[in-house]
Amino acid sequence: MTDVAKVAALQATGISVRYGGNVAVDGVDVTVPAGGMIGMVGANGAGKSTLINALAGWSRGPATVRGKVRLGGRSMDWLSPHRRARRGLVLVPEGKGIFADLTVSENLALIRPPRNPRGRHPFSMDEIFELFPRLADRRTHKGGMLSGGERQMVAVSRALRAAPSVLLLDEPSAGLAPRLVYELLATMRRLVDRGLSVFLVEQNVRATLELVDELYLLERGKLVARGPAATMKDDPRILEAYLGTLKT
Amino acid sequence: MNLAQQIINGLVLGSGYALIAIGWTVLLGAARLVNFAHGQLYMLAAFLAWAAMQQFGVDYYVAVPIAVLALGLLGVVLQGVMLPLVMKQNLTSLMIVTLGFGYVFQGGAARVFGGDPQRLISPLQAESIRYGDIWFTLQDVVTLAGTLLLFGFLWLVMNRTRLGALVRSVAEDPKLAQLFGINAARVYIGVFVFECAAVALGAGLVAPRSPILTSMGFDEVILTFVVVVLGGIGSVGGSLLAGFGLGMFTALFGALVSPAYTTAAAFLLLLIVLVTRPGGLAARR
Repeated sequence: MTDVAKVAALQATGISVRYGGNVAVDGVDVTVPAGGMIGMVGANGAGKSTLINALAGWSRGPATVRGKVRLGGRSMDWLSPHRRARRGLVLVPEGKGIFADLTVSENLALIRPPRNPRGRHPFSMDEIFELFPRLADRRTHKGGMLSGGERQMVAVSRALRAAPSVLLLDEPSAGLAPRLVYELLATMRRLVDRGLSVFLVEQNVRATLELVDELYLLERGKLVARGPAATMKDDPRILEAYLGTLKT
Repeated sequence: MNLAQQIINGLVLGSGYALIAIGWTVLLGAARLVNFAHGQLYMLAAFLAWAAMQQFGVDYYVAVPIAVLALGLLGVVLQGVMLPLVMKQNLTSLMIVTLGFGYVFQGGAARVFGGDPQRLISPLQAESIRYGDIWFTLQDVVTLAGTLLLFGFLWLVMNRTRLGALVRSVAEDPKLAQLFGINAARVYIGVFVFECAAVALGAGLVAPRSPILTSMGFDEVILTFVVVVLGGIGSVGGSLLAGFGLGMFTALFGALVSPAYTTAAAFLLLLIVLVTRPGGLAARR
């Protein structure tokens, strides 16, 4: 696919988030091309989760968000989080992403796939169980009984059931065994190669660099660097802070 | 003492307690909300049915559905007013606000319906059934059957349908539910409407047993609260058990000891249960 054909699936401009008097995110722009995978890395407390939540219009705390979010050219600014989710801007939040009191089937059945999936990426239950075969055996288990990895699979699965046009993933690797991290992220990459657009926030810089097309670096709420993954791999800021080696 | 009769009385009383409590149980369990106007809603429903019969001459069988419908609509309005507090899960303010609604209803009802005791007359109450020593009315049978049916239906909806899963998801985490594309506000309104309509049905079936007063709301709310807490807050099965337990206790204590101390004894029982099983009767050990 040429660069010209890759129109933006998600375009956010001037996103700022404040918690009371504290500025957590300060004027960040994010562009997710259709069928592309963008990664964002940064230290703990850099504002990565705050930013990705703001894109979904969602927050657990009393956040004040400014800036514009457009999904496929349509403004999302005044839409509540459940409306954004229904339009295809689907967030898998960090940590608790599914209901512990509900079974795997019930969690997934909460999602009503859109009637008109034009421009979206619908996934049938068969496709879901093909992606995550383990979930098929866990259908009747309650969310609270699953392992961390299984829970994350359910969280991603329910997001896919919503037929996302853009999938927002907040640290899907948190708390997972290294092998599972790679497996999950590689699965995401395969979906991107089939046309899904993904914005991924991650702590695991090494795995992220291998999978994303473009990498953003966030520091203290500000975007300090962005570029193709191949060049960011050699960026001294990334090397020093996250990969722990400086090229000589 | 006629033990069989007391057991029947206990069942009848208990089904009434459980029926009146069901709405609140769902509200607490499914929405983690409180409504201290619950008793006044019961009073309001009873008086609405009474007024429909007295003023407009409608049948009991029409008056009760009217009260159920009216309370359901009132539920939409109330929840609309409280929605900002509900979405923030601001329980302290909700307690005060609902308590306030209760007093407004009580004052308003006294103004409209007067302060005299009235009777909501059900034709079923006049149909008595006798088996040797024991005696009960058709109203008792209908209340008992209605309670069991409603609890069964509710259990099925909550545990076997997508709607039930929706309600349980919002109960567990309304914020997360938003990310699933669920309009949590609408689920809250639905649960609140169910509470109001269910207490109206309870009033329609239970209120014909005794004279109704516009000031009876508070006593109702206290006993209902015992049932809800005893059952294990939010547990549908637990509150059914607690309703029948309390009914049986009230009937037997009244017959064996003294009806004058029944409420005090019921609270003593509540204390003992809560100390030994903090999660209520339905709590899993």
